Amino acid sequence: MFCYQCEQTMRTDAGGGCASDKGVCGKDEVTADLQDLLIYQLEGIGQYSTRLHALGEADAAADSFTLYALFTTLTNVNFNRQRFVDLIAEAARTRDRVRDAYLAAAPGAEKLGGPAAFQPFQTLVELQPQTKIASLAAGAATFGEDVAGLRALVLYGLKGVAAYAHHAEVLGRTRPEVAAGVAHALDFLASEPSDINALLEEALALGKLNFGVMEMLDAANTGSFGTPEPTNVRTTPIAGKAILVSGHDLRDLHGVLEATKGTGINVYTHGELLPAHSYPKLKAYPHLAGNYGSAWQNQQLEFAAFPGPIVMTSNCLIEPQPAYRNRIFTAGPVGWPGVRHIGDGNFAMVAQAAKALPGFAETAPEKTILIGFGRDTVLGVADTVVGAVKSGVVKHFFLIGGCDGAAPGRNYYTDFAEKAPQDTILMTLGCGKFRFNMQDHGTIGGLPRLLDIGQCNDSYSAIRIALALSDAFQCGVNDLPLTLVVSWFEQKAVAVLLTLLALGVRNVRLGPTLPAFLTPAVLNVLVDKFGIQPITTAEADIEAALTRAA
Amino acid sequence: MPDSQITLLTRDGARIEVPCASGDTVLDAAAGAGYHLPAMCHQGTCGLCHARVTSGSYEMSGYTESLLPGRDLGDVLLCRCTPEGNVTVQLPCREDQIPRHQIPLRDAVVERIEMVWERAVCLSLRLQPHDELGVAADFAPGQYMELAIPGTGIRRAYSLANLPNWDGLIEFLIRIQPGGQFSAWLTGQARVGDTLTVRGPAGRFVLDEASPRPRCFVGGGCGLAPILSMLRHLAEFQDSQPVHLIFGANQEAELLPESEIAALRAGLPQLTLTLAVMNPGPAWNGFVGTAAAALDASLAPGVTEPDIYVCGPPKMLLAVEEVAARHGLAGRVIAERL
Ligand code: SF4
Repeated sequence: MFCYQCEQTMRTDAGGGCASDKGVCGKDEVTADLQDLLIYQLEGIGQYSTRLHALGEADAAADSFTLYALFTTLTNVNFNRQRFVDLIAEAARTRDRVRDAYLAAAPGAEKLGGPAAFQPFQTLVELQPQTKIASLAAGAATFGEDVAGLRALVLYGLKGVAAYAHHAEVLGRTRPEVAAGVAHALDFLASEPSDINALLEEALALGKLNFGVMEMLDAANTGSFGTPEPTNVRTTPIAGKAILVSGHDLRDLHGVLEATKGTGINVYTHGELLPAHSYPKLKAYPHLAGNYGSAWQNQQLEFAAFPGPIVMTSNCLIEPQPAYRNRIFTAGPVGWPGVRHIGDGNFAMVAQAAKALPGFAETAPEKTILIGFGRDTVLGVADTVVGAVKSGVVKHFFLIGGCDGAAPGRNYYTDFAEKAPQDTILMTLGCGKFRFNMQDHGTIGGLPRLLDIGQCNDSYSAIRIALALSDAFQCGVNDLPLTLVVSWFEQKAVAVLLTLLALGVRNVRLGPTLPAFLTPAVLNVLVDKFGIQPITTAEADIEAALTRAA
Repeated sequence: MPDSQITLLTRDGARIEVPCASGDTVLDAAAGAGYHLPAMCHQGTCGLCHARVTSGSYEMSGYTESLLPGRDLGDVLLCRCTPEGNVTVQLPCREDQIPRHQIPLRDAVVERIEMVWERAVCLSLRLQPHDELGVAADFAPGQYMELAIPGTGIRRAYSLANLPNWDGLIEFLIRIQPGGQFSAWLTGQARVGDTLTVRGPAGRFVLDEASPRPRCFVGGGCGLAPILSMLRHLAEFQDSQPVHLIFGANQEAELLPESEIAALRAGLPQLTLTLAVMNPGPAWNGFVGTAAAALDASLAPGVTEPDIYVCGPPKMLLAVEEVAARHGLAGRVIAERL
């Protein structure tokens, strides 16, 4: 196996990458190789799809399968080897269908080679030797690390785009240009691009595409569940039967709420589902009881102590401990061998498990946190915000957004939030916030100093806030008293980063470490063109941000 | 004798003492004592198992140094921290968060007693509600429980034959031993509605679900119970890896009933079955010999090497291990002794 797609990848003197028989995340060699092979096949589907799209036709099922299949290969999503054997077979059938549709629509068109012509075997044993064709490490050996790294940047950005688009799709939103953009990127990768500029251009094009995808996701979320509003969320348990829902998928959470209506079972959110409490149509369920636990890397402790079933709806899953292996369920793209999967949105079994398990014996004293500062809420008080800046009450905005992770070095973000001066506003999104969102950050100019914008999926909201501020101040985003402090972990964050770059946002502080797939030469380009900076210490970075702004 | 003692301090002030053998990491030592501390990569790279040693000396090797800026303060990664003598470790979590392998004691009521085949009784019990466990029958296929004969304190361990479930149902396949105390109770006094105490689940005879290899199960008589549970589990999860079941018996009458075979095949279409009979009657045209001999025959050169799960009496285990070793598969045997 060779995988270097996430922040916690194995780093040695020889460079970055998980290359033994198991990745840091727990993904084993067989699964990693099958994932690479599946991506290779998706490139083949993309070769035909992009041509089909160009003819004004499309295979909606193939487009949808592509998003879902890409999503299964994100970090901490699917570890189930068997699932990939099945997906590989499905990918071959899908490719055949899209190929036939293309050949029917364009008679005489040439048959494509490369991934488009690949024919997988059927069993795991036969597939294993076949995975070599898709090995990332082989690409690096042939085309050099810079090209391999840029291809990885495009692929990982694409995975992020696909994950967001899948979240929107399950809520009924699709756009032809998204499917076409994804197919185009896959076709591009299938062509084995090796021109550095073309690769960078494709990466930025994906960033732009992702802006549209996030807009679509925002419309899907607010269209389905209403506009997020400031909400106090309980963070302590209530006596009674309980279900915990983790991941990002609002539709699955809604499904669990429906399945448990009137049963007396309380539903708690975990990690990135915290923002669900701010959506009117979700918080209308009286049994959406509160938020339990913190960010994903603490799940082994938190799930073990939770007295009911757990549903994992998207990343990030860590190896389920024996203590809760029978009571954790996966949904959507997620999977772990030997863990029950709910593929049809029917959560009756989860409700049954909740009834059989003890639930919380006691109600703990109430504690709450305030969330729900999506763009409508923040822009609703734009006048106050602008006034506060103009009068000098607010000096600077920090957007501390992104993922959390296990590495102790991520304390930087706690320090950052704590040490940012009182005359600054902190905006946050993603699960990185659990490093500082339980602390009291006070208020400023009538606003809470810490504004929780939502999930990483709500980056769109954050960008809209920044754009609106630049309107109000009649300056470019880069001239605003705003610093973006982005903590990345997986590939959705890569997509968001590309979006920021595509929008011309400069001087992003990226940490806790820089992607292992970006070579020093490529990093130099990003630093030159976009002013991307690695983090140093919280004090120094705050200081630098305030000096730059002043 | 443990070589040293580790004191784990939790954030809420609990003290947990665990013994540590020389060369073990803190993570291993804690797991050996039933405390499963959070860990992900087990190779010093992810940082999830970080903690702080507050006293004692230890060795840290093979980890990503940037993960431990507080190395001088005693910050460690437990998967790479090997104590050199007694140490005290401050953990970043509360006591109730540490997944703990405790073997619970519960009440269960007899639901069904049925002779299923030659000298084998199926005993079904329903677990009674428990404060911390509710009514769930939560176990890993392959594990066992101890059943106590009511009013005697005599306990016998039997493997669970069914699947984990939310109804509290547990099922055992029990071989009737002439003169056995549990057998006597089961065939003589036991009645539907009786309550007995059960202790479990326990045992490490469980599936390695992450293994990419085919699976070969070897069992005989009531050694089939845990294997049945495993096979049913694989069927429920629609596992498509090759599965071979070798069932050994002395005579045809002790073989698995046809209905059971049909049910297994319905759930696991890829199942191949070898029935091995030691002393068959004249009509038998299947394999003649022990289950181990049947395994030997199935491990022909060129076959993808399987994981071998075996449950049976000590003699059978030895024979199977010997066959596996001869085929270079000694490390692949996962065994349960009856
Ligand atoms: S996802 Fe991350 S941790 Fe897992 S194998 Fe890939 S690089 Fe390693």
